[in-house]
Amino acid sequence: MNMIETQNLSKSYSGFRAVDGISLHIPKGAVYGFLGPNGAGKSTTMKMLLGLIKPTGGSFVIDGKTYPKDRVEILKEVGSLIESPAFYGNLSGRENLEIIRRILGLSKESVTEALELVELTQHRDKPVKKYSLGMKQRLGLAEALVGRPPILLLDEPTNGLDPVGIHEIRTLIKSLPERFGATVIVSSHLLSEIELMADTVGILNHGHLLFEGTLERLKENALTWGYPSDNLEEMFLAMIEADNRQRGGVR
Amino acid sequence: MNLLIECKKIKRTGLFPTFFIGGILAGLFPLLDMTFRAERYRKSSQPPIEILFSADWQMMAMLNTLLIIICACFLYYGEYADHAIQKMCSLPIRESRLFLEKFMLMSFLCLFVFVIEGAAFTYCALRWFGGRMDFFPLLTGVFKNFGYCFFLMLPAGLLSLLTASACGNLWTPLGIGVICLCLATMIPVNNPWLSLFPYALPFQMLAGTRAETVIFFVTAGAVECVVILLAELLFLRVRRAFA
Repeated sequence: MNMIETQNLSKSYSGFRAVDGISLHIPKGAVYGFLGPNGAGKSTTMKMLLGLIKPTGGSFVIDGKTYPKDRVEILKEVGSLIESPAFYGNLSGRENLEIIRRILGLSKESVTEALELVELTQHRDKPVKKYSLGMKQRLGLAEALVGRPPILLLDEPTNGLDPVGIHEIRTLIKSLPERFGATVIVSSHLLSEIELMADTVGILNHGHLLFEGTLERLKENALTWGYPSDNLEEMFLAMIEADNRQRGGVR
Repeated sequence: MNLLIECKKIKRTGLFPTFFIGGILAGLFPLLDMTFRAERYRKSSQPPIEILFSADWQMMAMLNTLLIIICACFLYYGEYADHAIQKMCSLPIRESRLFLEKFMLMSFLCLFVFVIEGAAFTYCALRWFGGRMDFFPLLTGVFKNFGYCFFLMLPAGLLSLLTASACGNLWTPLGIGVICLCLATMIPVNNPWLSLFPYALPFQMLAGTRAETVIFFVTAGAVECVVILLAELLFLRVRRAFA
């Protein structure tokens, strides 16, 4: 069963097609890796799923709910971290999460739990403007995780984290389907990063979905298409390069 | 409940102290004016409230309007500074509700300033015109006058919030607001049509104004509020459509 399905989802900006008719199938309870180089349309797609921007074509269904009819209902089920962490710099980490908790009507424990999950408990009462980049990123994740939403949209969640932080967050994301039964979409431009977390991947380039399926199927297909299959990073780069060539050398 | 969230958001921004100090400053104005020019005002046969409003309201209204412009800018600057608005938009709330809650918070802060100013007027009337009016009729008069001024302040507050909600940069709505306020100060208060400019309405006063003029301004204020609210709703829809 798919938790999220898009049908020919598109977004154009005055002639430029940022997302070009993509049809995603995101299984329930899986970590879905959304992969593509910078400007491929990953963030735009995620923003459309959140209703932050209006699609110019196509449609999508999240947990059986359709956009735009059930927009508010969809947002009740989705936790998100898009592009960069969003917060009130004058407030502490705990106060930021309190605001979200009140809006979502959650228990007070949900804030403590979210802070513990991202290991920010120690810094919970410090104003966010004094947080380091990594701490801000952790807070962004806590904001997405508060109340254990069944769907999580995480746009490059390990940005700004040190290697230890990256490992911790990666482990946390990987554990979310098992711990909370969550469906996670995590975007990155690094296949090496995605392959450590995701069960299924979607590869995007210039707004087009080049591949969707499991990592095993990706490797099988790579052999068929003649791409290097022993190194995933090289395979990804070769796929992107070939697609760019097909589009007339556009990078 | 959600108004409480808006109150929490402005924690440590200095907005509460700004309004408190602003209210004190505006309240000090009639006190100082009466201290130094009491004899001149005592010669007038007008009711005390009318004397005080005629003498001091223009300056106080300017300070009040400046406060609401600053308030509107800060309320939305907090949302835009670290992309908090994006988080709010990804939560199950409507942006239009956010606007209304900010407007309610601004109105409460404004009310707080008006209470300080009203207290200052009551004190001045009792201290320097004690024999002319009983306490309760005086209090009723102060309440009515400030209620009228508060109502006419709302369109300027809404328009400031609309401008602030449209601009991510703090200085743009602040600049627009200050320019509009400067324009408003050039408009003669006795010109009813030019006074319909939302930033000029707060300069109107109830004391010494004919009943039909009062009805005219109250109706105009209500219409302006509705129009600005509808404009904000339209703006949010258009912005979402073109995002």
